Amino acid sequence: MVLPYPRIRRTYFNIALMLLLGVAAALLAWHHLGGGIGPFPAEWNLGLRQPMDDFKVWAIGNRNSHPIFLYFFTPLSRLIDSSLRQVEAFLLWLPWPVLAAAIFLTAYRVANGGTALVTTGCLLLMGFTGYWRQSMQTLALMLIAVLIALLIGIPLGILSSRSDRLEKGLRPLLDAMQTMPAFVYLIPVLLLFGVARVPSVIATVIYALPPAIRLTNLGLRQVSAEALEAAQAFGSTPRQMLFKVQLPMALPTIMAGVNQTIMMALSIVVIAALIGGGGLGELVLQALRTLRVGRALEAGLAIVFMAILLDRLSDALARLDVTGRPPRTEPFRLASRWQGVGWASHVERAGQKFVRTGDRMMGWASRFTAHPYGLLSACFLLLLLLVSLLAGWQTFPPAWKIGLEGVTDNAVRWAQVHLYNIGGRGWGTGPFSDWLTLQVLNPLRSFLTVGLPWPVLILLVAAAGLALSGWRLAVGSGVGLLLLGFLGMWNASMDTLSQVIVAVLLAVLLGVPVGIAAARHPSLERGLRPLLDFLQTIPSFVYLVPVIMLFNLGRVPGIIASVLYALPPTIRLTTLGLKQVDAAATEAARAFGSTTWQSLRKVELPLALPSIMAGINQTIMMVLSMVIIAGLVGSSGLGIEVVTGLARNQLGLGVESGLAIVILAIIIDRLAQATVQRYQQAMNLSQG
Amino acid sequence: MMEPTPAPKIECRHLWKLFGPDPERVRPLLTQGVSKTDILTQTGHVVAVQDVSFAVRPGELFVVMGLSGSGKSTLVRCLSRLIEPTEGEIWVDGVDVMKMDAAALRQLRRHQMSMVFQRFGLFPHRRVLENVAYGLEVQGMEKATRLKKAQELLDLVGLAGWGHKYPHELSGGMQQRVGLARALAVDPHILLCDEPFSALDPLIRREMQDELIRLQKMMHKTIIFITHDFLEAVKLGDRIAIMKDGVFVQVGTPQEIVSQPADSYVREFTKDVPRVKVLTARDVMRPRTPFPPNGYSPTCPPSLTLESLIPLVMDHDDLCLVLDEDALCIGELDRTLVMQAMVGG
Ligand SMILES: Nc1ncnc2c1ncn2[C@@H]1O[C@H](COP(=O)(O)OP(=O)(O)OP(=O)(O)O)[C@@H](O)[C@H]1O
Ligand SMILES: [Mg+2]
Repeated sequence: MVLPYPRIRRTYFNIALMLLLGVAAALLAWHHLGGGIGPFPAEWNLGLRQPMDDFKVWAIGNRNSHPIFLYFFTPLSRLIDSSLRQVEAFLLWLPWPVLAAAIFLTAYRVANGGTALVTTGCLLLMGFTGYWRQSMQTLALMLIAVLIALLIGIPLGILSSRSDRLEKGLRPLLDAMQTMPAFVYLIPVLLLFGVARVPSVIATVIYALPPAIRLTNLGLRQVSAEALEAAQAFGSTPRQMLFKVQLPMALPTIMAGVNQTIMMALSIVVIAALIGGGGLGELVLQALRTLRVGRALEAGLAIVFMAILLDRLSDALARLDVTGRPPRTEPFRLASRWQGVGWASHVERAGQKFVRTGDRMMGWASRFTAHPYGLLSACFLLLLLLVSLLAGWQTFPPAWKIGLEGVTDNAVRWAQVHLYNIGGRGWGTGPFSDWLTLQVLNPLRSFLTVGLPWPVLILLVAAAGLALSGWRLAVGSGVGLLLLGFLGMWNASMDTLSQVIVAVLLAVLLGVPVGIAAARHPSLERGLRPLLDFLQTIPSFVYLVPVIMLFNLGRVPGIIASVLYALPPTIRLTTLGLKQVDAAATEAARAFGSTTWQSLRKVELPLALPSIMAGINQTIMMVLSMVIIAGLVGSSGLGIEVVTGLARNQLGLGVESGLAIVILAIIIDRLAQATVQRYQQAMNLSQG
Repeated sequence: MMEPTPAPKIECRHLWKLFGPDPERVRPLLTQGVSKTDILTQTGHVVAVQDVSFAVRPGELFVVMGLSGSGKSTLVRCLSRLIEPTEGEIWVDGVDVMKMDAAALRQLRRHQMSMVFQRFGLFPHRRVLENVAYGLEVQGMEKATRLKKAQELLDLVGLAGWGHKYPHELSGGMQQRVGLARALAVDPHILLCDEPFSALDPLIRREMQDELIRLQKMMHKTIIFITHDFLEAVKLGDRIAIMKDGVFVQVGTPQEIVSQPADSYVREFTKDVPRVKVLTARDVMRPRTPFPPNGYSPTCPPSLTLESLIPLVMDHDDLCLVLDEDALCIGELDRTLVMQAMVGG
C-alpha cells in the first residue's frame, strides 16, 4: 500500500503565479488604454445594513416585553449593575490609607519591597492627580469586568485545553475579538444590555476575554507530559488530574493571562466611556471634546498610574513559581546603582529595620496561626480602618492635588505658536501636514482607488499570498478583499489602506534607525525604555489632543497619533533582534575586517530581519487599531464610517465598516506573518 | 529446571504497538511479510512493539534491555495501558487487562502497579512528602494517614528529613529516591521501572542499584525494569529480555545470555561484561549424566562464578567436578574449558 506524499508541485505553482500576474497586468493595461474598469459594482452589496437596522428597531421595541430580555438580558444587566454599584460604593467608602496599606502589604507578600513601594506610590499618585472619585469608579469597573472575564475565560480555557476541536474553533473567534475594534460591538451591546454602565462592562469583558482563555489553555497544555503521565500512572481520575496537577502547574501562565486581561480591560476605559463607562475615561473624553489638553493629560496620567499599579501587582502573581513562592531577593536591598548614595542608604537601613521588626512580629504571631503574615496584616488594616474612620480620612484630600493643567496648556499653546509655522517660511507642522496630505496621501489614495482597478488589486494580493505561503493564503486574502467590496466599503477601505501604508512607513523610517541605535548604545536603550512604556500604556486619546493642535484636523493627526502609538514595537523588536544576533557571527564579521557599517548591513540586519519583520507586523496591527480613533479627529475612510454609525446610532453602517476593518486587518496580518515566516525559513531559524 | 512454575504475575501474549494514523489497517501488512522500513516509509507508521510474549513470575525482577528506540518504554507503558496496545493480551493475576474499563484500569493503577520514571516525573508544585503521598491521595485516603504512610516510605529510602522540601531542591539521586518512595507508598504488587537510573551519574547509579537490591530483598515485589545498560541488567535481573526494533531477540538468565548469546547483536553487549563475574560453573562445565563423585577430585557447586573457579582449576591438575544439591556430579571442568569461557569461546 502506497500513500502518496503531499508534495507541492513547483511547476503548477509557478504557472498559477504567472497566470495571476499575467491577468492582472493585462487588466491593468486594458484599464489604462481606455477600457475603463469602473468602481466596485454597487449592486453587489450584500445588504447587511437593512437587517441590522431592523434588529435595532426590534430590540428597542421589545426591550420590555420579549422573554429574552425579560428573562435573560435584563436580569443579567441588573445583577451586573448592582454588583458594580456595591463595589464602587465600597471603594469610595474605604479610606485611602487603608487601600494604600492593603496594596503595600499584598505587594510585599507576593513580590518584594520594591514592588510594594512602586505600587503604593502609584496609588498615591493617582490621588495627587485630584481624581480619586473617578479613579475608584474606573477601578470598580475594572474589577467587575475582569472578574466576569475570568469567570468565563478560565473555564473556557480549561475546556479548550481538553479538546483540540474546541481550541481550533475558538481560535478565529478570539483572533476576531482581538482585532475587532471595540466600537463594532458597542452598539449591539448597548441595545442588548441597556442598563446604566452595564454595556461598558460587557464591552470591556468582550475585549479583555481572549487572553484569559488563551493563556489558561496554553498553560494547561504546557504542563509537562511527564507529570501528567505520572499522575495517570497512579490512577488519577480526570478531575484529580485537573485540580491536583494541571491547574496548579499552569497557575503561573494563568496568572500571566490575568495580568494581560487586566491590561486589555484598562486599555479601553476611554472607549468604554463612549457608552457611559464613566470614571477616568469620561474625563479624558470630555477634555478631548473641549480640547483641554492639560485635563486630558491629568486624567490620562491617572489611568497610567492605575495601569502600572495593576500591572506590577498581577505580574508579581504571575512570577510566583509553581510552589507559590515569590523569587525572593534580600529584603530591601538597593540596586547597585543606588549604593553609596547617602539618602538612599538611609532608606535602605530604615527598610531593613522595618523588615526585621516585621519578622519578629511574625515569629510571635506564628504561635497562634499557620498564616502569621495574613493575621498581622488583617489586624493592622483593621486598626488603620478604625483610625481613618475616626479621623475622617476617606477620599484622598482634594487639596493635595498637583495640577498640571496650566503648565501643559501653556506648553501646548507655545508649541502651537512656535512650531506650527516656524518663522513663517513654510516650515513647521502646519505646512508638513499640508504637504503630507497633498503630496503623499491624496496621490496614494487615488492610485489605490482609480489607478489600480479593484480586480487588479485582488489578483495582485492573491499572487502575493500564493508566493508567500500557498493556495490557502492566496484564496483567503483574495476573497477577503472581495468581501470589502461586497460590504460596500471598497473606497473607504482603500482610503484607510493609504493612511495605514503611510503611517507604517513613517513608523518604520523612524523606528528601525532608533532601534538600531538603541541596540548599539545600551544607555540610549535604557533611556528610551520609560518613554516607550509611557507611549504604550497611556490611552491613545491623550496624545491625540496635542497632535490635533499641531497638525490640524484631518487625516494627518490620525496618522501622527498612530505612528506614536505604534512606534514602540518597531523600536523594541529591532533592538531585540539585533541584540539576539549570535555574537559569534558578528565576531566573525569583525575578524574579516568588516567596518561597523558592513557588519551591520551584511550580517546583523539580515540575521535580525525576522524579528524586525515581526515588529513591523505588530506596528501594522497597532496602526489599524488606531483607525477608528483617527476617525474621531476627522480622518476619512473606515474610521469615520464607524464613528458616524456610532454617533448617529446607525447600527448597520457601524457593523459594516467595523467588519471591513477586521477583514482588512486579518488580510494584512496574515500576509505580514507569511512574510516573517518566509524569512525565518530562509534562514533556518525556525520551522515556523 | 524442574521446579514447578507458579502462575505468572504478569503475562503478555503477542503484544503489538504501532504508532501512526491507522495502526489497525497497517498491522496485517506485517504478518504478510512487509518489512518495517517499508511500513515506515510508505505508511508513516512506526512499529514500536512487535509480537512480544513473555511471562513474569511473582517476586521476579525481569529486566528489559535494549538500545534507544527499541520500544522498551512503549512496552512497559502498554502493560498498564498508559499507551493503548494495538493488539495482544495482557494478563495480571489471571485478569485480562485489555478487557478492563476506565474505572477498573484506575483501580489497577492505584493498587497493583506503580511506576518509576526515567526523568523522575515528580510534581514540582508539591513538597516531597506530598509527592510521595500522591498515590494514596488519589485513592481517597485521609490526609493524616497518608502523610504518616508517606513519611515511613521516606524513612525507608533514606530521606527522612527532606519531606518539606520541594523536588527542585533535591539532587537527582535524591529525586529518584522520592520517585521510588512514591511508587512504593501504595504498596503495589508490581513495580514498573522505566530506566529509573539512566539520568543519574555512575556513582549514584551504582548506589541506587544497591538500594533497589536491598529493598527487593525485603519486599519481594514483581519488578519489570527497563534499562539500556547491559551491566545494570546483569547486576539486577533474575531474567533479562534483550529487545531490538520492537522484538525480543533473547530471554534468559544473565548467565544464559552471556554464555549463549542468540545472535551477533546480543554478543555485542556481552563483550563489555566481565565474564568472570557472571558465568558460573554450570554455564561452562561439560555436562555428565549424574554420578556419585570419586572423593579425591576437587569439587564445586554449580553456582560458583568463574572468578572463584580460577584459583581452583589453577591449583589442581585434575578435573574439577560440579556437584548439585544431592552431591551428585552433574558435570566436569578443566583449565581449558575455563580459559575458553573467559575469552568467550
Ligand atoms: N507517541 C509516539 N508516536 C510515534 N512514535 C512513537 C511514539 N512514542 C514512541 N514512538 C516510536 O516508537 C519507537 C520506540 O520508542 P520507545 O520510546 O518505546 O523506545 P525506547 O526503547 O524507550 O527508547 P529510549 O531508550 O530512547 O527511551 C521509536 O522509534 C519511537 O520513535
Ligand atoms: Mg524510553
